[in-house]
Amino acid sequence: MELSNDLGNLPSAGSETKKTKETFQYIVIKLGSEDFGIDINYIDNILRMQQITRVPRVPAYLKGVINLRGDVIPVMSLRLKMGLPEDEIGRNTRIIILKIESEGSVGVIVDEVREVVTLTEDQLEPTDEGKGPEAGRFVSAVGMNGDQLISILDIATINLDDN
Amino acid sequence: MDVSQYLEIFLDETNEHIQNLNTQILNLEQNPEDSDTINEIFRAAHSLKGMAGTMGYKRMQNLTHDMENVFSEVRAGNIKVGPDMIDTLFQCLDAIQEYTDNIKNTSDEGTNDNEPLIKLLNNYLNGDSAAKTPEPSKAKEEKSKDSGSGDAADKWNSIKFNDSQIKVMKEAVKSGLGVYGLNIKVKESCILKAARAFLVLKAIEEKGGEIIISDPPSQDIEDEKFDLDFTLIVLSEGSVNDLIKAAADVSEIDKVVGAAIDVDAIRLDDEEPAESAEESAAAGPVPAQPAQTEAQAPARQAVSPTASNAKPGERKPAKPIVNRTIRVDIEKLDSLMNLVSELIIAKNSLVSASGESASGLNSDFNEKIEYLESVTTNLHESVMKVRMVPIENTVQKFPRMIRDLNKKLGKKMELYMTGEDTELDRTVVDEIGDPLMHLLRNSADHGIEPADVRISRGKPETGSIFLDAYQEGNSVIIEVRDDGNGIDVDAVREKAISRGIITAEQGAAMADKDIINLLFSAGFSTAKEVTDISGRGVGLDVVKSKIEALSGEVSVKSVLGEGSTWTIRLPLTLAIIQTLMVVVGGEKYAISLGSIETIETIPENDIKHVENKEVINLRGQVLPLIRLNELIEIESKPPADGNLIVVIVKKGDKMAGIVVDELIGQQEIVIKSLGRYIKQVKFISGATILGDGEVALIIDTNALL
Repeated sequence: MELSNDLGNLPSAGSETKKTKETFQYIVIKLGSEDFGIDINYIDNILRMQQITRVPRVPAYLKGVINLRGDVIPVMSLRLKMGLPEDEIGRNTRIIILKIESEGSVGVIVDEVREVVTLTEDQLEPTDEGKGPEAGRFVSAVGMNGDQLISILDIATINLDDN
Repeated sequence: MDVSQYLEIFLDETNEHIQNLNTQILNLEQNPEDSDTINEIFRAAHSLKGMAGTMGYKRMQNLTHDMENVFSEVRAGNIKVGPDMIDTLFQCLDAIQEYTDNIKNTSDEGTNDNEPLIKLLNNYLNGDSAAKTPEPSKAKEEKSKDSGSGDAADKWNSIKFNDSQIKVMKEAVKSGLGVYGLNIKVKESCILKAARAFLVLKAIEEKGGEIIISDPPSQDIEDEKFDLDFTLIVLSEGSVNDLIKAAADVSEIDKVVGAAIDVDAIRLDDEEPAESAEESAAAGPVPAQPAQTEAQAPARQAVSPTASNAKPGERKPAKPIVNRTIRVDIEKLDSLMNLVSELIIAKNSLVSASGESASGLNSDFNEKIEYLESVTTNLHESVMKVRMVPIENTVQKFPRMIRDLNKKLGKKMELYMTGEDTELDRTVVDEIGDPLMHLLRNSADHGIEPADVRISRGKPETGSIFLDAYQEGNSVIIEVRDDGNGIDVDAVREKAISRGIITAEQGAAMADKDIINLLFSAGFSTAKEVTDISGRGVGLDVVKSKIEALSGEVSVKSVLGEGSTWTIRLPLTLAIIQTLMVVVGGEKYAISLGSIETIETIPENDIKHVENKEVINLRGQVLPLIRLNELIEIESKPPADGNLIVVIVKKGDKMAGIVVDELIGQQEIVIKSLGRYIKQVKFISGATILGDGEVALIIDTNALL
């Protein structure tokens, strides 16, 4: 966690430094067929899928609450939040616990956690805001790791309660 | 001197003293002659002065000093306490409070000298009081004014010598030494009085003086247990002027007076006080008539707060009756409580693990678990008790407030409080003050009618407001009751309609009870004219939300023309509760045991319908039925035998039956918040972690009723 100094996962466009390229680390997760990246600074923990206690009368993407070392943590479905089909819980399903300063911890369900990648700023291409499909709302940039495309998730947007 | 580290203690103690003074002065208003009260006030003022002085808050010190002076006079019977004086004293308290608040916020007392108050106080001490006080003391007062600062210069005459001391003095005279009385007064601004006094003593000894008597005793002087002056009896070869000069050379010494003592005149036995005694005594440093020692002592006490006569009163606070309490940071208690919570979760998991393992395998193990259970429960209770404080500290300020409102509103009312010793969690007590204050103001402002209206209604002229606190089961109830006008339901209804809170049709259909509850909605104020006491329309809704934030609830009952009762119900503890665990649609839920009345088995065909809603008739009482599975949107399995399990819950006088699938049993649980993401669900008050690590939600039955 020694890397990027700010919480934003986007380097300012057209930043100059060539000598020491700023690098960012992302955990690459899979949702459906697409790869997404989550800034490693937000990640508190990665858990295997476990029993989630349903909370009645909340939006569908809020799957419920789990017990994380004695704390009750809400868990949401990233798929539902992003307008993708319902999760298919399998062997690789994981809950990623994100720690967001202003809002506390929240777990997100992902299909699979693949790897950790390090990208330099010139490997990141900011997306136009508010453009693209439903899922695009939550993507702040696209990272190119060789021929792999990684949509970088804007955690702040995901956690914004838009109900 | 760096005193910043004491700031917190200073503020704490100052507030205690102010609170105490408030209470005592109210007392005094009722019983102007009560000497205990007067002594107590004197002591509190004195302590305040001392503390302010030590911390270097000059203005506060001056004000308290003058208050103390006034009380010294009152104590001596020279001034009678009148209503105007009580008012002045309250104003002084407000001023002190202002200083304290300033200090709290900025570490500085501010720049308000409160000259008018000090002048008022001095008026009592001077002209005004003299006129009111009986003749003899008036004479004394004038004399004391003559002597300049109001201090007796020749206090050594009021010292009572014992036989051996007299013997020493007589022998000293025989061997050619002078016996001198000295009174040394340090400057009021002096912070390190004890140090100055010590320098004085040293200076005198260096001049060859032998101090044989000091008043207060030298130990007390060293401990700074004297007011501003102290008195010495010194044997010396030199002249009294040498001694006076030596003492006066010490810095921060205001005044030194001294004179030779006519030892021959001292007798071993008391004598009739001579008529001329006062004259000569008051005339200043002249060889005094020792015969008057006895007679003069009480007279002197009347004149000024001297070290010698203030002492008996002072000593009490200085040496409190063995204090066996400690101040603990609330955060430490919080973390202790958290640990206890963890322990209970761990215990619960042991209990559930033992239940799963082949039962009867080891009955010894089960016994151990039961033992552990009782220990953790006791531990929890103890920690909880540590966090409990009586609501006294919070409600103490209310009599004063009502008194002020009396004057402000021009109404007559009296506050009666009971159950001040009722205990609540510290955090709750801290928070409950404002809502209570609001309800009381509300009663005073809107509830109690003006005296003429009351008389015409055949009520006692003086309105009564009651504040009653008591424990009921796992809750604490605080009631604010008045015998005033009550709530005019129609006025509330009209107002609600005109404010657009409800429509006219809704208003017509709503029950009185529901209309009254509209008072708790935002932006409501029924006072015909807005006063600065209440009626800003930001009141009752804030009261309600504040109390709900404490997991409590507030309700009101009112009879028009007879009065209103506001009831606040608060949980004893916020963190750990006893619950009934139930199963609905395969999911586990916890219901607080505190709100459960009974558990009933009801045949499904006993359910009746009223206005399309399911009700049951329970021993003659018709209760609405709540299907928990519908509420939580889950399929419930129908009862096999056609009998429903119904948990009867209660909130105040409202009851309802909650249908569940299965009962698991009683369990002590630790309440955890659902976090900030999930807060829309009104009837879920939180979650808990069960013994097997599973999370179960807690049903807030109060929200269902």
